[in-house]
Amino acid sequence: MSEDYEIPENLYYTKEHEWARIEDNLVVMGITDYAQTQLHEVVYVELPEVGSEVEQMDAIGTVESIKAVSEIYTPVSGRIVEVNRSLEDKPELVNEDPYGEGWIAKIQPTNLEEDLKSLMNAEEYAEYLRTLEE
Amino acid sequence: MQLRRTQLYEFHKKHAKLTGFSGFEMPLWYKGIIEEHMAVRNSVGIFDISHMGRVIIEGKDAENFLNYLTSNNVSRLKPLQAQYTTILNEKGGIVDDTIICRLEEDRFLQVPNAANREKDVDWFRRHLEGFQVSVRDVSDEVAMLAVQGPRAVDVVNKVSDTDVSGVRRFSGLWLEIAGAHVLATRTGYTGEDGFELYIWDATLDDPKPAYDVWNSILEAGKEFGIEPCGLGARDTLRLEAGMCLYGNDIDDTTTPLEANLGFVVKLEKGEFIGREALLKQKEEGVKRLRVGVKLLERGIPRPHHEVWSDDTKIGVVTSGTMSPLLRCGIAMAYVDSAYAEYGRKVYVQIRKRRVLGEIVKFPFYDTTKYGYRRA
Repeated sequence: MSEDYEIPENLYYTKEHEWARIEDNLVVMGITDYAQTQLHEVVYVELPEVGSEVEQMDAIGTVESIKAVSEIYTPVSGRIVEVNRSLEDKPELVNEDPYGEGWIAKIQPTNLEEDLKSLMNAEEYAEYLRTLEE
Repeated sequence: MQLRRTQLYEFHKKHAKLTGFSGFEMPLWYKGIIEEHMAVRNSVGIFDISHMGRVIIEGKDAENFLNYLTSNNVSRLKPLQAQYTTILNEKGGIVDDTIICRLEEDRFLQVPNAANREKDVDWFRRHLEGFQVSVRDVSDEVAMLAVQGPRAVDVVNKVSDTDVSGVRRFSGLWLEIAGAHVLATRTGYTGEDGFELYIWDATLDDPKPAYDVWNSILEAGKEFGIEPCGLGARDTLRLEAGMCLYGNDIDDTTTPLEANLGFVVKLEKGEFIGREALLKQKEEGVKRLRVGVKLLERGIPRPHHEVWSDDTKIGVVTSGTMSPLLRCGIAMAYVDSAYAEYGRKVYVQIRKRRVLGEIVKFPFYDTTKYGYRRA
């Protein structure tokens, strides 16, 4: 049930289950509670490369459980300015705190206003999850 | 297509994350792959493996028939002894890898992989001519469980009417558990000590004996922290132990010599299907070999990833995972035999990254600390 997943109000969401939060002039991103629940035990995160220029919805890394490899897509275009190195030793942070300590990357956006138009808000994402369950 | 179910499906449906495997709807995990995996390495776990096949081969010529159709030497088996072996095609390719247990002088139990249930029986039936032997698939009348881990013997002893401590590896005995008639063999697919239990008269329509045994073992195992384990842990356990998964690491195009399974090939025992091809291959030398690759840097190898030595592509990964015990990436790969030496540094191409690894012996773990040989 979509009610079982945490979907914070102030974030933007992709159809591939990434979230984006605007913080100062940067976009912090990670994968959603739904995504981490589907993967179950995250045992490895292949982090994006700092400094790389990315287009919205480019695959920039992977989140992996023992059985599955899930691509990470960037919710916005821009330059990767920081990645969460603590996931190298503690990938399980993605499961434990997907919207907090399990964040994946910070991006200096280049086309933010336009990019946000194609992302969902919390209400739309909750509705989207319901359609996936049907 | 409707997925097939085992005798214990209702338990899995209630307690597990389910997955499709070889046409069966099976438990992937109950609590989680890592926890279940570690329960087996450190104490004990129980698996429903009824998706595997059970085939009875019997008759005056059963021994000769199986010697002709498999690479190992069935004549070495006394009643209630089992062996790992391969069924080969004329080219020496592996039709299936399997356990054969001699039940009586002229009666054998063969255990196909789930995906090969029909394939093995068809293959046997196509080669019946000249042998007084019958082949009967009893998979849906006999359930199959595995109790694995260093405390498996303790758990089985608590529920069995017979003490199993003295049973040797690859031997078996008949016993009674929770009123059910059970063949127990000291075998498994985890690298650990333990038993595989064949529960007779547990049909898909009337699976009660299977539940009785399953539940009594779960109850008896509580004091040891027993976990029901799904196919996820079964896969990571067998990979750490260096055991092949049919369809991934071996198939109709790989020979047991290439797969590093030479110990199941008895060329001196007489004629068998595939022997000529293997003799020729042995004479010429194998071009590729199945080896273990342990990653020395972060990453998880997966099937089809390429293996490189400096600037030369030397092979390909057939199975890979993050080892829950070793906490690093491990893989089985076929590499050019010229490069197949322990300690050689290689790279696994994981998407855009080249990840450093090393060719190592099976099993991946320290056998003085883990596995059935541990002190």
